[in-house]
Amino acid sequence: MNPGLIWMIAGALLNIACVLVLAPLFQGVQRKITAQIQSRQGPPIRQPYFDLLKLLGKEDIESGESPAMQRFAVHLAFASALVLACLVPMGLAAPLGAAGDAILLIYILTLGGVCTLLAGLAAGSTYSLVGTSREMMIMIALEPLFVIAILVGAIHAHSLRLDAVLCGSVYGVPGVPWSGLVMLAVMLLSFPAFVQRVPFDIAEAETELMEGPLVEYSGPKLALFKYAQMARLVIHSALFVALFLPWGSGLGFPLGWLCFWAKSAVLVLFVTWVAATHARYRIDQAIRYFACLLAAAIVALVLAGYGH
Amino acid sequence: MPARERLIALKERFGPAIQRADLPDDGRLHVFVEPASLKAVCRHVFQDLGARYVTTIAADDRPYSGRFLVVHDFAFDADRLLTSIATLLPADCPRVDSIYEDVPAAGWAEREMRDLVGIEPVGHRYLKRLVLPDGWPDDVHPLRKDVPWNFAPADFDETREFTFGDPPEGCTVVPFGPFHPTLDEPAHFRLYVEGEWVRGCEYRGFMVHRGIEKLAESVMTYNEIPLLAERICGICGCVHSVAYVQAVESAAALRPPARAEYIRTIMLEVERLQSHLLWVGLACHIVGFDTLFMQSFRIREPVMRVAEEITGNRKTYALCVVGGVRWEIGPEMKAKLLGVLAALEAEWRAVADAVGGDRNIRKRMLGIGVADRALVKSAALVGPVARAAGVDIDCRRDHPYAAYGRVDFKVVTADGGDTWSRLSVRMREVIESIRIIRQCLADMKEGPLLLAVPDELPAGRWGLSSVEAPRGESHHFVITGESNRPRRWRVRAPTYQNLQAVPAMIKDQQLADMTISLGSIDPCFSCTDRLETIELKSGEIRVWSQDELLRLARKRPPETPR
Repeated sequence: MNPGLIWMIAGALLNIACVLVLAPLFQGVQRKITAQIQSRQGPPIRQPYFDLLKLLGKEDIESGESPAMQRFAVHLAFASALVLACLVPMGLAAPLGAAGDAILLIYILTLGGVCTLLAGLAAGSTYSLVGTSREMMIMIALEPLFVIAILVGAIHAHSLRLDAVLCGSVYGVPGVPWSGLVMLAVMLLSFPAFVQRVPFDIAEAETELMEGPLVEYSGPKLALFKYAQMARLVIHSALFVALFLPWGSGLGFPLGWLCFWAKSAVLVLFVTWVAATHARYRIDQAIRYFACLLAAAIVALVLAGYGH
Repeated sequence: MPARERLIALKERFGPAIQRADLPDDGRLHVFVEPASLKAVCRHVFQDLGARYVTTIAADDRPYSGRFLVVHDFAFDADRLLTSIATLLPADCPRVDSIYEDVPAAGWAEREMRDLVGIEPVGHRYLKRLVLPDGWPDDVHPLRKDVPWNFAPADFDETREFTFGDPPEGCTVVPFGPFHPTLDEPAHFRLYVEGEWVRGCEYRGFMVHRGIEKLAESVMTYNEIPLLAERICGICGCVHSVAYVQAVESAAALRPPARAEYIRTIMLEVERLQSHLLWVGLACHIVGFDTLFMQSFRIREPVMRVAEEITGNRKTYALCVVGGVRWEIGPEMKAKLLGVLAALEAEWRAVADAVGGDRNIRKRMLGIGVADRALVKSAALVGPVARAAGVDIDCRRDHPYAAYGRVDFKVVTADGGDTWSRLSVRMREVIESIRIIRQCLADMKEGPLLLAVPDELPAGRWGLSSVEAPRGESHHFVITGESNRPRRWRVRAPTYQNLQAVPAMIKDQQLADMTISLGSIDPCFSCTDRLETIELKSGEIRVWSQDELLRLARKRPPETPR
């Protein structure tokens, strides 16, 4: 057997394992820190593992309008998270980095949001439909930001190859990389929205929509959806680090690897801090906010086009 | 204008339509009018004289006067005057002109009168059931004296349902409640939504009506009722207990000792503190700001603990008896309470600064759920909702009771009329409450806690009492009676008026703002009365009635072989 293939499979498994093991841990850290900010003790850091196990062991109830679609949505959400884990470098080179280009990455990232839409439509309740329409509006406003970030990197790298784009390529110009810095600010300001946390958890909004698209989920399916959402936080952190915070990744294993995860953890802390100190935006307020960011992103794209 | 001058003016205008009047003291005026001119008098009082509508009391007076009694209560807040416009209706024809058209705030109270006492408000344009469950028979009115307190109708119709109106064109129906994470009390709002915009709604509530008034009028005694009264509300129970005993005291012309009045004032303000802190926390939770929710509850906890030390209970204080109070606040407790207040004030100022400067919360609340002055007037809104719209009313100052006439405090107002103004009013009221408690603790003289009441209370007297609850004016109306219990006791909680304005407040705003607009609803409990099972194979739907469920639950399991 081709040793390259074996290495590729081993790398993919390593990345998937990292995501699956670290996702609940990050969640646990988030909860603990949120509790500290709120003067509470908070659950133990390992609690999310138990939560997932408990949900996975529950009876699989089929409710909602079209159960088959709901099953499909949740599996697709989880599978797309796992595929992403193989496409994104996590301290080492991306195992399947040669299997596709940046366009594929964008598509699969969008797939996560599409799954939420499917879940909401399949539930068929009024609240899930309202959540779905909100999720759709957010996707339309949010995805262009990410596309532009990748495009800026691709323009500077003169390539759409993943390994060329996902290595801090946004700064890859001589002089001050204005486009990269603008995109860094834009992506940092919209990061909580990509991982669906307060103040942008508008589509789920427990106190308004009762979890919106997820309203009909319970037991193992809910566990998978929640797991996929936790994984999303890890993967988006990894992507963000790869695109915007490349420093220290060149140190090699294990120093570079540790450095990478440390940077991801800092991002998780950032998300936690924002969530604990903000109220939820209303959908129109969020869209206006995204529109401002989009304007800034377009400026960055133009700058990148002129080589800045 | 004092009570006597009001009465003279009314007599001049309506002449013989005013049958008789009673002026028990400067702050109370009871006027009996002919049934035919009731509507005209009420219109004059509400629209021309600018009185605030309080509530409507209906009573079955047949055992005493052979007739039905209808009373509309109004308040002249600037004159410190509570006025009752009453009329007696013949026993065989309990019909009266509805005042809903002229006094929109009377909408619910007249529907309740129709449900519970069976007096028909003629000309009311929305005569659906308010209090009684949908399956209750049409001809049984629980508050009539010939209906026993534990009456259970044999012909209760499980299948009858409330008929809602049709949604406006282009709107979909979004059911809000009876069970919703931010709606701790079961109530149903049928929202008519166009996209994300609420275009209208219809309300059906009273799902856990407990028949407290009937219970009090039939089986309880004067001094048992305060314990029942404070269980009316899960948060501001002490208010109801104080309002009830004050109404009885006012009917019987009793005046509790000064120290008892101070202690009532202190406990009412302690209750306001915990209620406002709870509300601010919940409001933040509703807009997704859980950190402030947690901090509010942390700051609130010492208040609950000190209340427990004073009364033995965190919430239901069991404070009042007719003529005084049960609990003493000794020097040690006084020092403790002052310590709690000092810590609370410092922390609360920090919270108020944080909230006041938070653009994020401001964005979610500014211009949301607006109740302007016109709505406050027409729907007779009370409490922070009215004060946030710049309507300067507060029963503590306007109709002084307990020790409020002897302390100095500011009535906090704002002028936005929106949720943001309400938040600001409540946050500043916390500081005023702390000031009131401090003054009471300093001014309170030693003395007895309880008035000796040697004689039986006279029957047939009227007592009115308005107490400023954290959510607004809580109004109690008592007619004293025989066998050591009132003939009629009517409670009007502040939410009763404020909830009626919610449809107007949420109209033409976004669905996301619904929960925060509704945010000031009190928590309560409910019980399920029926449930549905669906046979998956045939798709057949079977609704289990309460009876069937009971039978099912009581059925013994089949014997298992050993």
